[in-house]
Amino acid sequence: MNDFGKKLFQDSKLAKETIPVVVSSRIRLARNLADFKFVKYACRGDLHAVSEKCEKVLSSYPILANNTVFNMCDLLDYEKLSLVERHLCSQEFIMETNESKLFFTDDHLTSIMINEEDHLRMQVFRSDLNFKAMFDKINAIDDHVSENLNIAFDRRYGFLTACPTNVGTGMRASVMLHLPALVITKQIGNLIMAVQKLGFVVRGLFGEGSEAQGSFFQISNQQTLGLSEIDILSRLTQIIKSIIDYELNAREIVKKERIIWLYDNIGRALGILRGCYCLTSIDAMNCISLMMLATDLGYLPNILRGDLNQVMMKIQNSHMQVLENRTLNANECDVKRAEILREFFAAVPNLKFD
Amino acid sequence: MMEKCQFCGKPATVHMTQVINNKTTVIRMCNECAAKHGLFDKEGLPFAMLSSLGEALFSGMKQNLPANGLICSKCGCTPMSFKETGRLGCPNCYKDLKLLIDGIIESSQKGMIHKGKYSRGRSAESAVNVADGLPNVFPKRHAKKLSMEERLEELQEMLNAAIKAEQYEEAAKLRDEIKTLKGLS
Ligand SMILES: [Zn+2]
Ligand SMILES: [Zn+2]
Repeated sequence: MNDFGKKLFQDSKLAKETIPVVVSSRIRLARNLADFKFVKYACRGDLHAVSEKCEKVLSSYPILANNTVFNMCDLLDYEKLSLVERHLCSQEFIMETNESKLFFTDDHLTSIMINEEDHLRMQVFRSDLNFKAMFDKINAIDDHVSENLNIAFDRRYGFLTACPTNVGTGMRASVMLHLPALVITKQIGNLIMAVQKLGFVVRGLFGEGSEAQGSFFQISNQQTLGLSEIDILSRLTQIIKSIIDYELNAREIVKKERIIWLYDNIGRALGILRGCYCLTSIDAMNCISLMMLATDLGYLPNILRGDLNQVMMKIQNSHMQVLENRTLNANECDVKRAEILREFFAAVPNLKFD
Repeated sequence: MMEKCQFCGKPATVHMTQVINNKTTVIRMCNECAAKHGLFDKEGLPFAMLSSLGEALFSGMKQNLPANGLICSKCGCTPMSFKETGRLGCPNCYKDLKLLIDGIIESSQKGMIHKGKYSRGRSAESAVNVADGLPNVFPKRHAKKLSMEERLEELQEMLNAAIKAEQYEEAAKLRDEIKTLKGLS
């Protein structure tokens, strides 16, 4: 593996410690330098100056010093995409990379984009719901940044951002949830509507019909102005906690009313994962989603749950290309994915149903 | 009828829904593009949304606002260029395009006035409401009593300025804000 691959695949703490239902949580802050145009309107020279100033300040912050900094324009396309797959940067960030830099820590729990749509997009991650710890961490970085750079701030509007949907706190908090039982029991539609009515955004992937793929949903705050950081985080925490309760309840219902169906689906999914030679990303996600459910329900050893998160990352298209050190076409991806999964699930013990 | 992938035109099998301000947008993708664009956290908006974002925000604001003659004196950004890109040009836009921005904020945000952290670590919480949800609390220096008084003083200043400039709607909002804050302390 090359140096990039080593940085990408170094043990992400994120995947290791897990709780049921929550896949990961994130807080992101958007900040801009007061004396420059926003990224979309700035000239190359300005972007360069912004990048230099930010890099200097960031690399003097203890947890960021001596960590990875990428000049995005130096990377290959699949390398850039693998960073998106790992959530270290955004899709938009890799579209225009002339003066963009990406900082991230070895544990993959902190990353900072320079010259995304805002000059600075700073984010921290965790595998649980501890928003207090996350906010303390990002807030300390933000204090360091705002003590050393002239940040665009207005008493009325708060932190000024390139898009008015981020103005104010400039904060977006989000949680990725795994909700298979709410999908199976068809309660997910109502839940999504209810959450949206509360002013939160739900994103998910849907297949044909309303069958969800992988049953992964991301919930984040929509509003950033007129609320304090604590307001936003405590409301999000409350909503997430009740969604977790709904999901756990739905799992009990599925176990009570559809146990044979559940055994059958989990059993078949493991069969596919152990026997496949060519598997699309979507089929793989659905099967792995069922394996996660199986570990949560005690049908597989709990210790597997973190490994499942990691293997799910590893079978993303661009990750496999980094692993192989070359571009792969769609078919080659499906074959390589099957190979990784076969090997991984051969070592997984047999299901132990109640 | 088979829907087409918005990225490459192949048959779409994945439908991604996104809701902004109660407006639902569906993004259709083929398996390949869906895999390429990732199942995960897109950090903000999926990029297919970006071009239509300005439009979406625009349609949410009041049509009769006299925002058309506005231009930012620092960067040249206008309501039209915002409509095209969905992005403002510079911090000064918030001053020169205030009319446009207030319309957008009113239709998409919770309130008109910042209640969160202050820059340069001066104070994090103007509305100190730590009671529910999160366990106590963020760094002490951000919850200083002083910050609340400072904030009230500032709001009072802003209120006086608004009255002087005969911006009565704004003044009313500021007055509400001051009332809320006083209620909290
Ligand atoms: Zn496509
Ligand atoms: Zn401007």
